[in-house]
Amino acid sequence: MTNMNTQKKQTIFDYLAAKLSLKQFIFWIVLIFFLVGILFPFYWMVSSSFKTYAEIGGRSPVYVPSELRLDAYRELFDPAHPSYQNFGRNIRNSVLVSVPTALIAVILSILGAYAIARFKFKGRDALLNGVLLIYLFPGVLLIIPLFAMLSHFASMFGFEVQDNLVVLVITYLSQTLPVALYMLTNYFRTIPDEIEQAALIDGCSHMRVITKITIPLSVPALVSVFIYTFMIAWNEFLYAFIFLNSRNLFTMPIQINTIFNDPSPRPHVVMAASTIMTLPIIILFLSLEKFLEKGLVAGGVKG
Amino acid sequence: MKNSGRKGKSITLRQREERLAWRLIAPTAIIVLGLVLFPAIFNVWISFHKVNLGALRDVFSAPFNGLANYKNVLNDFSFKFQNFQNMGVVVTSIIYSLASTILTVLLGLGAALLLNRPFKGRGLTRAVFLFPYVAPIVSVAFVWRWILDPRQSGVMNDVLMKLGVIDMPQAYLSTRGLALLLVIIFEAWRYFPFAMLMILARLQAIDDALYEAAEVDGANTWQKFMHITIPELRYVLGATFLLRLLWTFNKFDDIFLLTGGGFGTKVLPILTYEFSFKTFNFGKGAAAAMLQLVLVLAFMLVYLKFVMKEED
Repeated sequence: MTNMNTQKKQTIFDYLAAKLSLKQFIFWIVLIFFLVGILFPFYWMVSSSFKTYAEIGGRSPVYVPSELRLDAYRELFDPAHPSYQNFGRNIRNSVLVSVPTALIAVILSILGAYAIARFKFKGRDALLNGVLLIYLFPGVLLIIPLFAMLSHFASMFGFEVQDNLVVLVITYLSQTLPVALYMLTNYFRTIPDEIEQAALIDGCSHMRVITKITIPLSVPALVSVFIYTFMIAWNEFLYAFIFLNSRNLFTMPIQINTIFNDPSPRPHVVMAASTIMTLPIIILFLSLEKFLEKGLVAGGVKG
Repeated sequence: MKNSGRKGKSITLRQREERLAWRLIAPTAIIVLGLVLFPAIFNVWISFHKVNLGALRDVFSAPFNGLANYKNVLNDFSFKFQNFQNMGVVVTSIIYSLASTILTVLLGLGAALLLNRPFKGRGLTRAVFLFPYVAPIVSVAFVWRWILDPRQSGVMNDVLMKLGVIDMPQAYLSTRGLALLLVIIFEAWRYFPFAMLMILARLQAIDDALYEAAEVDGANTWQKFMHITIPELRYVLGATFLLRLLWTFNKFDDIFLLTGGGFGTKVLPILTYEFSFKTFNFGKGAAAAMLQLVLVLAFMLVYLKFVMKEED
């Protein structure tokens, strides 16, 4: 019996030794270390969101929820719940801010990038370098003058600075346009301009060339710029934190921060809301990974 | 006659194109100039004026304050280095950004080397490796806080107690020293995918012939790594390091969400935020932001002049 066991163990060991060299063994160990380190927090976020208050507040952590309990989600969405969070409106606010930001950034940067990539004009390089410089500016440095400036104009022209989603979209544009412009300019420079030249000689206007030739040729880049700017707006915390005071207008990050800092801690609710905010980003990212990866590198590397 | 006419026409064509270019770029330029460049300059102005909450109605007539704001920041007790228990924001910021950037680049290098080998499921693994970087900061920061929960039911406490590393539950993010270390580790966890992507792109561009030649000469893996891979990666490592260092130095959200800037983790952006939006002393906040910018620019000049130049 024991003999057989050792025999069997040895064969498994032999099998592994034959199959894996030491190098491969280390490779797999390191890979598993990375994967566990990356994925555990995400597992913990999703699984905690399906726990009950009892499971969250127990003496020791519950690694696998007993069943998929929707208590946390009920607090977020069910008006009958005693501490109903009305998270639906926060999702709506986030969409209302991120989609226009991404759309406007893409449209404006198509025009701007076309001009920079196709025309020679005075101040072109200064403009592009100036845009690059913005990468180095601390967001905190800009928020004080922005806040002061916008407050000044607000009392001058009679609009609200705080609790105004339009103001938030405008400040997000200042953060996303430089990135979008830079990415698209680099992309347009890689498209050969012979077709555009031919269309111009045939008498097409530049606007027509842009809509009929340049845009269709750069759909992948446009999608990636859209998603990239959408993600910036969707994830943004500091500006929304400063510019929004009313719970009705909170974007998701601010509402989650509010729930987290509630005197009675309810981590499962925080995790449920975080899951809702993270899931679309992960899905978008996984489905368009090929485009986005290039965009992430292009956003960081010059040229 | 004919000649000069053609010349005149070509000039107007060029002018027309130039005008069109400016019209196309105008909306972007106006937004960038108005909401980035002008505020950046305006910040300098604010830092020399007495601007508080009441002054916001009519900022431009706020009274001149000389260097008072700068003096206030420099004399602020949380700014100055006092002792190793209270290092002050400048020293904390430098330790935090240097340590987390080095760790980020090292992890990124490791991950890039890992994913540079072909194996089954590499595409998916690569995508998964980017999760920490693309996920919203609020979600990941709060998951980390929940994992590091000070109660006995926190995962980190549970695991370490079962392993016998600690006897009592620890309040990780509210213990001086430990909090800073964990914030640094969090930064590396979140941003290594960026370094990984940059390094991976360069790794895949290295000519295989170099390795083949080295193999013919009898080089082992370590020698190939040290004499081919690292020299080929030098430029991208240097650039990634610089970029990440600057971005980390300017980062506000991560520390604010993890510790709120408490327990020895207060960095310059947090101090700037507190001056302007907690005590509503915008002039002092602007001065703190200017000092931060000066530090960033000084570092960049030194780095570009000495480190990057040597690599050319």
